[in-house]
Amino acid sequence: MAFGWALECAGLGDPPKLAGQFYLRDFTVLKVMLSAMLTAMLGVFWGGRLGLFDPGTFYVPETYLLPQLVGGLVFGLGFVLSGLCPGTSCVALASGRIEGAATMLGLFAGVLLVGLAFPAIEPLYRSTPYGPLTLQRLTGLPYGVVVALVTLVAVSILAWVAKWEARR
Amino acid sequence: MKILRRLGISALALGLGAPFAGSPLRTQQRGLDLDSIARAIDEGSDHVSARQLAEWIRDRRPGLRVIDVRSPAEFHAGAIPTAENVPIDQLAKLRFAPGQMIVLYSQEGAHAGQAWVMLRSLGVTHAVFVPGGLADWREEVLSPLLSANASPAERARIAELSHYFGGSPRIGGGQEGEVAATAQIGRGSRRRGC
Repeated sequence: MAFGWALECAGLGDPPKLAGQFYLRDFTVLKVMLSAMLTAMLGVFWGGRLGLFDPGTFYVPETYLLPQLVGGLVFGLGFVLSGLCPGTSCVALASGRIEGAATMLGLFAGVLLVGLAFPAIEPLYRSTPYGPLTLQRLTGLPYGVVVALVTLVAVSILAWVAKWEARR
Repeated sequence: MKILRRLGISALALGLGAPFAGSPLRTQQRGLDLDSIARAIDEGSDHVSARQLAEWIRDRRPGLRVIDVRSPAEFHAGAIPTAENVPIDQLAKLRFAPGQMIVLYSQEGAHAGQAWVMLRSLGVTHAVFVPGGLADWREEVLSPLLSANASPAERARIAELSHYFGGSPRIGGGQEGEVAATAQIGRGSRRRGC
């Protein structure tokens, strides 16, 4: 509920707004994603550092490079066509937009299709495995340094977007 | 705008402070990385032969640290030169510098192999063990069999290494003599236990 509420507050139940990101007209999606990642990353790092929990026990999804690239492309295509992603389609439906229902229908149809075709695409699905890949494992840098670099990049982009929006 | 700026600055402060905050992972490098262990065993990068270890000791390989995991009594009865005695129950308390190459050995290798897994679980990846243990050391370094089939250069190399550690090579005949001698040594120097 809180997740949906936050998405609606950010205006992400609105398909033209989401599709606007792909045409570089509207940077709401980028802003929401970057600030969410920043909050989560800093929260995990400092929460762990202060002893609230142990980040080492958190689940990190495994990377399968090729199938995830293909999946990302299909996902992006659906995203820009409908102007909604799975989370925001629920939000859109809840706020009474018919696009939300259409997108969710497409979502479940796609899930069903992939499930039925799974035996045929399983070799692709399991190809190019890299295990639970993280930036610090990829770069070999210490955790804190990766956090600082990502923060620097994210805050710079957010500041740049804010400046660009103010100029318009 | 003001609150946005404040949020941005606090995010920057938290992010840039992260490299100096130490690690948030409580279970850092504890627990077994089973994939890397399996890979090391598969590649054979988990162990080193007694003869190779002898060459490392002779050549004073930098950072080499030889650890005898047997009991102090066994250690004092005879050990590999330069080795330090750290019984298995003391192993977890040890500190290892990153540049060190740790070589573990025991009487016949089993305990050293188990100690290797223990070190792995402590996050020590720069360790190897001698599979045949001290028994291999005696057979391959102190009294190696100079096979008649080996080249003269190879025989000289083995004999020289053996002499360096105060050993004396045995002269073997052809294939049959070799097998017989090995069997004899097997009865003589190998004993029960690890």
